[in-house]
Amino acid sequence: MTTISKGEVILQISGLAVNVQGRRILNGLDLTVRAGEVHAIMGPNGAGKSTLSQVLAGRPDYEIAGGTIAYLGEDLLALAPEERARRGLFLGFQYPVEIPGVNNVYLLKAALNARRRQLGLEEVDAFEFLAIVRDKMTLMQMDESFLKRGVNEGFSGGEKKRNEILQMTVLEPTLAILDETDSGLDIDALKVVSNGVNSMRRDERAVVLVTHYQRLLDYIVPDHVHVLAGGRILKSGDRGLALELERRGYDWVLQEASAA
Amino acid sequence: MSARPEPAPPLQRLRPLLSRLPGTPAWSEWRAAALAQLIAVGLPTTRDDSWKYTNLRLLERRELAPAAPRPLDASTLADLPARQGPRLVYVDGRFHGALSDATLPAGLTLAPYAALLAAGPPPLPAAPVPADERLRLLNACMACDGAQLALAAGAAPEQPLEIVHVATGGGSYPRTRLELGAGAALHLIEYQIGVGPAEAFVAAVSDLVLGRGARLTHTTVQLSGERTVLVDDSAVRVGAEAHYEHRLVALGGQLARLDLHVVLDGAGAVVRLAGVFFADGTREHHIRTLIDHCKPHGTSDQLYRGVAGGRGRGSYDGKVIVRAGAAKTSSRQSSRNLLLTPDASIDTRPQLEINADDVKCAHGATTGTLDEQMLFYLLTRGLDRQTARALLTYAFVGDVLMRLDPAPLRQAIELRALGRLPAADTIREFVA
Repeated sequence: MTTISKGEVILQISGLAVNVQGRRILNGLDLTVRAGEVHAIMGPNGAGKSTLSQVLAGRPDYEIAGGTIAYLGEDLLALAPEERARRGLFLGFQYPVEIPGVNNVYLLKAALNARRRQLGLEEVDAFEFLAIVRDKMTLMQMDESFLKRGVNEGFSGGEKKRNEILQMTVLEPTLAILDETDSGLDIDALKVVSNGVNSMRRDERAVVLVTHYQRLLDYIVPDHVHVLAGGRILKSGDRGLALELERRGYDWVLQEASAA
Repeated sequence: MSARPEPAPPLQRLRPLLSRLPGTPAWSEWRAAALAQLIAVGLPTTRDDSWKYTNLRLLERRELAPAAPRPLDASTLADLPARQGPRLVYVDGRFHGALSDATLPAGLTLAPYAALLAAGPPPLPAAPVPADERLRLLNACMACDGAQLALAAGAAPEQPLEIVHVATGGGSYPRTRLELGAGAALHLIEYQIGVGPAEAFVAAVSDLVLGRGARLTHTTVQLSGERTVLVDDSAVRVGAEAHYEHRLVALGGQLARLDLHVVLDGAGAVVRLAGVFFADGTREHHIRTLIDHCKPHGTSDQLYRGVAGGRGRGSYDGKVIVRAGAAKTSSRQSSRNLLLTPDASIDTRPQLEINADDVKCAHGATTGTLDEQMLFYLLTRGLDRQTARALLTYAFVGDVLMRLDPAPLRQAIELRALGRLPAADTIREFVA
């Protein structure tokens, strides 16, 4: 297992162009994410934020029309979704899928062991696993009954998001992409979810938060803030940019970009 | 050059056998007349609406006459889930005492078949025999034994009663009749299994009668051999406030079909049907249900899941009739089907015929492939594609298998169902 040190490039996206159902959604997107950093990608609806998240995770029906993505020096686009996951890339879904009949705990255990095999670590047995997951469930303020339920089956919007973050805390990814994790959360749930994410901040890990609202960034303070619009990163800055976006909206960024 | 004469069609070849079957001369006459009626119309074909999806062409070249009895020992039953109570074993339709444990609980009685024969033959059906009646009639012609069971009013044995039908080759015609008195309760588990590689044909008939407030849980597990054609026809009469719950697990046979004809014959009757089939290879599984709401305040609920892979075929053909007197009926039908390969096919036809006001009826039917979003979600968690597909396939039928009880039966059946999935080994721990 190779160790990753703070400042090392984890993700390097260059000139990424993506078509969804024949329509160009991302068009020349560049982004560099280093170990130890938290990035926030903000932007108006329809800007391509979710497309970016899904492409990073390897969604098969999105067509890569150009550009490259390097993940820990490897060509990410050449890897199948499951290979990306095992190499430590985690996507927290905006709309986590309900899978009745597939037990939450077994999925999570299989996911953890797939990751551990990749890392050359011994698989955990059911007993060890329960100890790990119980611990993380306490952090995420999740009920024991969750253990017996199907994946996201009958979960409320907030429970689904908590479950995504729970999975992240168990899998301990190198790069976590959290797609609109704040949407549909009340303030208490937002705090719990933010706690979960903050507990994961490490020098050897990076987090990319994809969000429409600044509110999440009050709880998870990012190192870098980017505005994604028209399929590209139009502007980057620090946390101050997020506050300015909240005050002024997105139009001025678009105008600035078209004037340039 | 002399052409060899075509062999007589299978039904004709049964004729000389009739005289060897038990019963009075009246029975012999009845059998001859009934078989003549059958020969006149032939077996059902896909032109008969209720057989639209089941093609019995396989039978044109199959021996329908019973095979000579073969010695069997306990190893015959070794693959079955451990039994929880008494077990009646019928080999090619004949009771097999040595393999059975017929120590029945208080209130449950098994009458000898001779008692039924003594009562004399039933009236002949009017010609031409409707397609729906033909296999029943064939069974009545050929049956030479059968379970005649009665459970006394109020009796509720704790342990399930098992009936195991073993087919060893040739035709077999098992017959079961079970009457539950008022308030009686029972779990009946029926297995269809096969022994040896011979071609077999099984035409099974059950008649189940539930008195007022009786409860019958009825589990049918089809584990027939690879070269068995099984048609199982159950008629159920559900009295007032009685509950009938049926679960089908169809895991065997070359072609296996279940016909369930359930009449809600008293007010407030409740019927819950669930079933699952796995049609892989070139296997065929067919389910046909006919639910007849005759009295008010009845409830029926159907939940069927079908999976087909390889060049497998399947069908669910379910009809609910709500008669004029059956106000306040509530009925639901759900048939969902999963195709694992491009060559697999499943037909589904839920039908409703409502002749009463103030009823609540719903039905839904789908046939499709694995859900791509679910698959992607599992892949993003690091599961390999094969495991993810197997897991989703298993989950697809999970809500039916979950209904099975007691737990040891459910676990045994789950493992068997699992064994029929591609990449079963990769998901075993998800199920255990």
